[in-house]
Amino acid sequence: MINDKNSQKIVDIIRNYARKHSLWILAYGTGCGAIEIPPTMTSRYDAERLGVRGAATPRQADVLLITGYLTTKTLKRVIRVYEQMQDPKYVIGFGSCTINGGMYWDSYNTIKALDRYLPVDVYINGCMPRPESVLAGFAKLQELIQAGKADGAKKYKENLEWYRENQKKVIPTWRMPEYNW
Amino acid sequence: MEKTKLSIISQIKNHFNDAREKNYPYNRVDFSVRKEIVPQVLLYLKDVMGFKHLSHISCVDWLEDNEFELVFIVWSPADKIKVFVHTRLDREHPVMDNLDMIWRHAHTYEREMREMFGIQFTGLDAPEEFLLEDWQGPPPMRRDFDTETYAAETYWERPGREDAQDVRETIEKRTGEVLPDFAKNYKR
Ligand code: SF4
Repeated sequence: MINDKNSQKIVDIIRNYARKHSLWILAYGTGCGAIEIPPTMTSRYDAERLGVRGAATPRQADVLLITGYLTTKTLKRVIRVYEQMQDPKYVIGFGSCTINGGMYWDSYNTIKALDRYLPVDVYINGCMPRPESVLAGFAKLQELIQAGKADGAKKYKENLEWYRENQKKVIPTWRMPEYNW
Repeated sequence: MEKTKLSIISQIKNHFNDAREKNYPYNRVDFSVRKEIVPQVLLYLKDVMGFKHLSHISCVDWLEDNEFELVFIVWSPADKIKVFVHTRLDREHPVMDNLDMIWRHAHTYEREMREMFGIQFTGLDAPEEFLLEDWQGPPPMRRDFDTETYAAETYWERPGREDAQDVRETIEKRTGEVLPDFAKNYKR
């Protein structure tokens, strides 16, 4: 175990460097924004040159990409997906619907601010954001990871009660497993 | 035998005396009937007149008349004619006959209308919950359901949208366009 501070720092730098260059995303395609993911991933914008690739399952993914409005019904699944992901994990909120409700601000069935329910590391605004802004969002996330500031997962663990309280407010019948991390 | 719209109208009116018809341009004919004879009319259309396909069932909330209107749209592939069958239900106790033994996919529309408008279909064998999961408010597509207030009470809103403008008013102010009176009853 490394105890002294300086060598921990070096390990952190190397670890963060490695993490930021292999972001496997789980694209949770809610809302309309998911349509911008294919152009981002394919040859025109080629996100893979930043190390961004699709992952098949939550347990293999690092980034949860939420691409638009979330109904309360979907939110349930998203929370579950997020809790199944392993550390390190990051959340990107994509589109104005995740930020302030977007044009679904008065809908009876969609949440209006994603960061009340899940810790969001980076928001990409726009309705919908173009692939350039998606890439800019990923670049920003990489920057935060390198600086050690993308600590949404830690925030979630520490403030779990607050998040749970908000989640249970919009999901009245709570039938979710309790994880013990 | 090719059927024309006029022959369809006369045939239906012969069978169901109190059906009121409206002949629209192109390939559309509308009938308004009492809700008790809707299954008979639809069965007759399907089995005798060849309207084999149920395209849609929709519901209109006539809040001012205190009624719901159901519209059944059936299509005849042979004659390329659409028939709309309208019927009105009491809004306080909206009860309708279940039609999913005539067309199986009517089941889906009926479940949706039960959830969104609160219309009961006698004998509809399906769980209450359809699209909305643990919904606890009133049926959300009814016009007296105040979506905006509900959303404001239920979901936390990020500050910063208070200066959002009423679209209709803004257009009126900027262009001097005069709104018709009925439009003033509705916001945005
Ligand atoms: S932000 Fe715009 S594009 Fe994205 S989900 Fe909302 S309405 Fe659709």
